[in-house]
Amino acid sequence: MAEEDEELDLYNEMTFGLDRDSTEENAAKTLVLPEKSPELAAVGVEEAQAVEQLGPGADEGQLLLEELGEPQGEGGMELEAEQVDYVEEEEEEEELGAEEQEEEQEPEEEPYEEPNDLGDPAVMRAVQSKPTLESQDSAVLDSRIGSAWAEFGKEDMLAMDPAVWSSCPGSIPPHHMLEDKAILQVLERPPPSANMALDFLGSPVQRGYAGSPRLKHPDFRVMSPKSFPQRFLRQQSPLMARSACSPRHFTPARRASPLFASNQAAGFASPAPFRPMSPNISTPPRPLAMHFGPMSPSLDPSLFFSPSASGQLNLSVPSHMTQLHPQHQRILTQRQQQGGQAQSISPKKMWSPKVDPYARLMTSKEKDWVIKVQMIQLQSENMDDDYYYQTYYHRLERKQAEEELLGGRNKQEPPKLVTPFIQKVETYDSVVRIAGSLGQVAVSTCYSPRRAIDAVHHALVEEAAGSHRLRALHRIERLFLQLLEVEETQRKMSLAPEEEQPCFQEQKSQEVGRIYQALKIRACSSEEEAEDEFLQVLCVRKGKKLTARLLPHLAEEQAEKILLTITHHLPFLMKKDMLDESLPLLYGPLNEMVGRTTFSKLIEVLQEMTRPLPESAELPLTMALKNQFGISLLYSLLSHGEKLLSSDTPLEPHSGDFEKWTDTVFLVARELSQVPKTSLVEPLFLPSNLLSLFCRYLDKQTIHHLEAKMECSPLPSEAAMPC
Amino acid sequence: MNYMPGTAKKHLVLLRDGRTLIGYLRSIDQFANLVLHQTVERIHVGKKYGDIPRGIFVVRGENVVLLGEIDLEKESDTPLQQVSIEEILEEQRVEQQAKQESEKLKVQALKERGLSVPRADTLDEY
Repeated sequence: MAEEDEELDLYNEMTFGLDRDSTEENAAKTLVLPEKSPELAAVGVEEAQAVEQLGPGADEGQLLLEELGEPQGEGGMELEAEQVDYVEEEEEEEELGAEEQEEEQEPEEEPYEEPNDLGDPAVMRAVQSKPTLESQDSAVLDSRIGSAWAEFGKEDMLAMDPAVWSSCPGSIPPHHMLEDKAILQVLERPPPSANMALDFLGSPVQRGYAGSPRLKHPDFRVMSPKSFPQRFLRQQSPLMARSACSPRHFTPARRASPLFASNQAAGFASPAPFRPMSPNISTPPRPLAMHFGPMSPSLDPSLFFSPSASGQLNLSVPSHMTQLHPQHQRILTQRQQQGGQAQSISPKKMWSPKVDPYARLMTSKEKDWVIKVQMIQLQSENMDDDYYYQTYYHRLERKQAEEELLGGRNKQEPPKLVTPFIQKVETYDSVVRIAGSLGQVAVSTCYSPRRAIDAVHHALVEEAAGSHRLRALHRIERLFLQLLEVEETQRKMSLAPEEEQPCFQEQKSQEVGRIYQALKIRACSSEEEAEDEFLQVLCVRKGKKLTARLLPHLAEEQAEKILLTITHHLPFLMKKDMLDESLPLLYGPLNEMVGRTTFSKLIEVLQEMTRPLPESAELPLTMALKNQFGISLLYSLLSHGEKLLSSDTPLEPHSGDFEKWTDTVFLVARELSQVPKTSLVEPLFLPSNLLSLFCRYLDKQTIHHLEAKMECSPLPSEAAMPC
Repeated sequence: MNYMPGTAKKHLVLLRDGRTLIGYLRSIDQFANLVLHQTVERIHVGKKYGDIPRGIFVVRGENVVLLGEIDLEKESDTPLQQVSIEEILEEQRVEQQAKQESEKLKVQALKERGLSVPRADTLDEY
């Protein structure tokens, strides 16, 4: 059985002494344990030694001893118990305040190690180990405090007959057993079972459960372990008597509670594993409402305890108090002292400003930490990109500007956002970047090579598949990334001061050139369209988006080349786009680009649209009329031509340009009039100067006809028309 | 501006399920998990409201919609009328019923016209 193991361990430890551990938690225990002697020496001697050995922190304890004078047998035990209490309190208080005092207290450990042979197990040492961890973590805390229990347990354990331990729990009164186990657990180092107990006691409710059976007999804990039943019984009575007569329940309880209150986990540990073994312990599962503060009159603290206990103890300390963090508990006890017993205060009543014990529950350190974490989230490397940062500061500035106007105050500098300095974690360059690993690890590092294996598998499979479309998509992805870099450079350039701009410009044009090369545009090639990579790119929506975004950055000739290619292959593109209908994406940039072309170039482009196709009887032009993008592009070209013609700028046409132009216009007009209205698609944008264009060359009748067809707004006045 | 817990500061928390909690905020963490002390759940129906004392709340951060500090001076300065818990619960029940009735009628009308509005509980929240 587990208890047997525990008890054996305990026995071994006590007999052979513990190894010096480096752990803080065990420092205290190691201090304490070796000092224990199996014999309970004369109490006077013990006390004297205790007095000697007690550190500065236990002055009170000393005083108490002296006060009480020469102790007798049981009296001595009592005293020691009380002394223990005080020492415990001292320790506890020291822990509480001792977060920064680790160094201070550590050296004090030394003196206590010496008097091993003189040490009385029953005498508590003012053990002061590093409090930091413990004071912050109640579970850890307990294991340290728990070492105090060792004092009690030592002599008894040794004297004990293992048989006693393994005897049926039922034969031992529940409180006895509680104590035993508690001590057992506490003495173990690092008590695996105790630790496990500590760990699994996660929920406060559980703790509540655990607390309640334990609290039934808090007083008993104070006493030396029960392995000497007579002593126990003897001790029981004085304490019982004490508690029974004292109207101020709180005091003895206060003494008792710090012991196990700080001993939270150890305390928890004890009942929890015991529950199955102790049928006598009343069933704990009663949801304990945690009322740290003033309790409503409806809640009687005694309700927290089993009926059998309430008769004995009637502690005013609610069971949950044992689960309090020592700091909280200190606040609570403070409060209790001030406020007295349960008050009938409705939940809505305000805390009196003077007494709000929970106001400092969250230390300013913790608050700062939370704020710091939130501030860190505000940090971003690229402030220009950060939408929230930008909008926040725009708003702030606007508000301040308003205030300035209203208040007429001096211009206030908008407060700069000061975020905590966070060192950027060294980014580890991946060994392999895996594309197409949606939902999986996309980067293989030497820290985590295995995780990426599945992804790699998928990626390889994809590569092998390699359809046209897929390859095109891959290319588009890569090019898009490059384009994003270009835009980034563009942005930086716009924000950079004048001097730096040329170098950015240089960088940008280089990057753009690279992309352009990668696109492999072959204008007006007669190759199979399926082979043309650029066209394949254009067939994909994303490819169109890419091209559209790229166009503004391109140099003039490059852009024109693209325009030519598109126009040349327009039927093909239109056909491919029937499902997607994403060609209009290209309209905007192309329109702008068209607006910048020369007349000759324009003619060249238009020629593409009017040249007859080998496969079909239709002209590309005609086909374009039936496609939204096509018609829009056509109109845009014509409109630009008209603009050029009607403007005064010299056109510098090549020979034959004008004829081609006129021919084109006539052709367009003819096709427009011939195509049924139903198949004529509305363009994305209808330029206003088209009719005036037609006016130059065509007769009135035709113009009216076209007007109706195109649903243009009628010309301002017919008289103004030159035709 | 400072929403952190502090002395004599009451907070109002609105939860995702529509509950309003008022209590003393004792602790908060980076996920906006909250520890509310002496919490009161306030139910509003029309111009009336009722408070149900709930004790201590630990709220998981993801369920918090907003959190605000209550100005204790202005707290009593409200046109709303406080009523008892029973009354407010009754009012709430009545209100829910009325809402359900109107909802039913709406759905019925839509169904007649051949439209169907997906029910809120079968729909994702976002």
